[in-house]
Amino acid sequence: MLTEDRIIEETVRIQGSKRVLEGNLAYPCEQASCSALIAGPHPFLGGDRNNNVVRSLSDALASRGMVALSFDYGGVGGSEGGPENRPAAMSAFWKDGAFGEEESWVDDTGSAMASLRQWSGLPQVLMGYSFGCWSVAQNLPESRAAAVVLISPNPGKHSFGRISSCRSPLLLVHSDNDFTCSVSEITDWFDSIRQPKTRIQLAASEHFFRGHEKELAGVVLGFLANHGLLPGADGREDND
Amino acid sequence: MTGEHVEVFLTGATGFLGHYLLAELLNHPRVRCRVLLSAPIFKSSDRLAELLEQIGLDLMALIAEGRVVPIEGRLPNDVHQPDLDGVDLILHAAGNTTFRSSGSGEPGRTNVEGTRALLSLARGASVPRFVFVSTAYVCGDRTGHQEESFLATRPSFRNDYECSKWQAEALVWNWGCDTGIATICRPSILFGDRKRGRATAMKGLYVVAKATDILARAMDEGDETNRHQIPLRILGRGDATCNVVPVDWVAQKVCETALQRADESSVHHITNPDPPTHEEVKTWLEAHFDIGGGRFSDATWPLADANHYEDLFYSLGNICLDYFRNGLTFESRCAESIPPEHRLIDRASFLRCLNYAQESNWCRAAKVPLNLRPPAGGIDPAWYFECFLPAAVPRSTVAKVEELTAIVQYTITGSVGGSWVSRFERGLLMETLVAPCALEATFEYRLSYDDLVDVVSCRKPLQEVFFHGSAEMFGDVERALKMVPIIGEFLREFPVAGGERSTTSPAGVAC
Repeated sequence: MLTEDRIIEETVRIQGSKRVLEGNLAYPCEQASCSALIAGPHPFLGGDRNNNVVRSLSDALASRGMVALSFDYGGVGGSEGGPENRPAAMSAFWKDGAFGEEESWVDDTGSAMASLRQWSGLPQVLMGYSFGCWSVAQNLPESRAAAVVLISPNPGKHSFGRISSCRSPLLLVHSDNDFTCSVSEITDWFDSIRQPKTRIQLAASEHFFRGHEKELAGVVLGFLANHGLLPGADGREDND
Repeated sequence: MTGEHVEVFLTGATGFLGHYLLAELLNHPRVRCRVLLSAPIFKSSDRLAELLEQIGLDLMALIAEGRVVPIEGRLPNDVHQPDLDGVDLILHAAGNTTFRSSGSGEPGRTNVEGTRALLSLARGASVPRFVFVSTAYVCGDRTGHQEESFLATRPSFRNDYECSKWQAEALVWNWGCDTGIATICRPSILFGDRKRGRATAMKGLYVVAKATDILARAMDEGDETNRHQIPLRILGRGDATCNVVPVDWVAQKVCETALQRADESSVHHITNPDPPTHEEVKTWLEAHFDIGGGRFSDATWPLADANHYEDLFYSLGNICLDYFRNGLTFESRCAESIPPEHRLIDRASFLRCLNYAQESNWCRAAKVPLNLRPPAGGIDPAWYFECFLPAAVPRSTVAKVEELTAIVQYTITGSVGGSWVSRFERGLLMETLVAPCALEATFEYRLSYDDLVDVVSCRKPLQEVFFHGSAEMFGDVERALKMVPIIGEFLREFPVAGGERSTTSPAGVAC
């Protein structure tokens, strides 16, 4: 594990097709061998790149020698854009839990993936948390991802049909008391999707993993190590 | 009727009610409005544009879209029949609210002669429907339950305004008997809108509030009398009521009535089924201005032995006589949809209107800045939830989130804490009460006092306090999460300036 002074962290500008996004790039002083993109929760549910899950993953990955990019979706923090009529969008989201412009956040995820690939030139692991799972999944066909990590997805709300377009190892992490999705719903969905895949259930961590961030990061690092994606780690399969 | 469109001719559009009526009419996509504006039209249209801008409408864009057509003219003499050709409906809201007749001929000139002239033009242009905005107080000094019907027998009036409106009603009703369909809408006393407490004319209850303000200012200037024991006789009874109604609600009901199909002439009271009492208004005003001592009295106006404080209080005239009535209720079909537990004007909405009135310097300031600084002792949660939120939320993005309907509980832990519940309805903050109360929260935020201070003064984002800190959410967590960015917008728009931590427990709140 690298100490903080061996990790470089910088605020970066990501040039998207329509707007510039602000991101956080964390990487080791030494040569990295793998990169990870972390897509955060829904902006209209308080999601930004400083979210506790996003932040803890970014720190953990960089401390283990990976390049980690997290970013704010359009209209969040220093990122340009966002819904033109924000109150109307919030109103629609309050009523229906969705609104038309969410697709633009999927595009933002694609832009961040492309930038990270261009900057690092390294194999890329795609990680999503909550809404970020869907925004990552929508970009999978074009991704050539080395691995996919989904944390607390909600397959009851979002369609994850594109998961099957990518044969990379998949890790699903979820809680046993997530208000967005029951354990049976998530396991039924997991059983229905393609191999190779791994499922880890964490106890009492709700949807938010507050106070469980280290445990969560440990699970993700373990999965990456098992697949030879961490510097110095040997690959090992452990399908669920 | 022109195809799918309803062609409306509106008078009084630059008035307090009139511009809300125009906004409400334009909510109906089929409506096109011809708006009568006095000469010079560039000046009156500027005024209308300014008023509409304050409620989120762009007059120039509406004109460009053909939804509003300004017409220069003035009642009773300077309106011409071609202006009414093809009109489906006249909504006559122009009125003069002068109580006592003066040398100018008002209020009779506008209210009676203006209506007479417009009815004549309507007859000539074969306009099928005439909607007249009157007043609930055409009943004069009658008491008891007033039915929604034309008053064929002339009542005894308290002032010339009431009389002029009754005369105009008679003209309209007769037009309805021999020419077209007449609809008479009788609103009671207009008060600020439900979103911001915004008002552009401050009569009625505002005069009582202003008189209280005058008295409070005198006490602020070092009067030796205990400000909570002012020897003030308030003329009237505590159980008398003041039938105030939010201006935007009136506009909504008038337009609903006007645009509904009608086969015969009718009368509609647009009144408050549960108006505040004199006693309630007194309590709210005393708490707001931090004064007390007034007592109800059956003394008669003018007070022969008025003391210094009564001279000040009544310097604006006999402020109570015209606005508070005993034993008067109104039949009102349009008020039937109001749930009995919801009051059109309650303490929170009254204070919202009062804050707006003061910030606008009783309508003298062109634009209203929000200057709500925390009390000298630091941020008091009671002040924040009971005073700051009701004043600021109506002007914020929250008020534009029209689907937002929820009951939110905020529990602040620690010695300077407490619990409050806010009821939001379609983006409007309807009330904030101290918990426990009858409102059942959809969800609850629980955070420490220190976190509250950091959040409301924008030192920490709410997300950080929740995801990394000590805040908790209970109840419908998904709704609570959805509310986070809405609150985030509000906090960015209205941070508490100079917010310091309080070290003492709140001892009650005077907004």
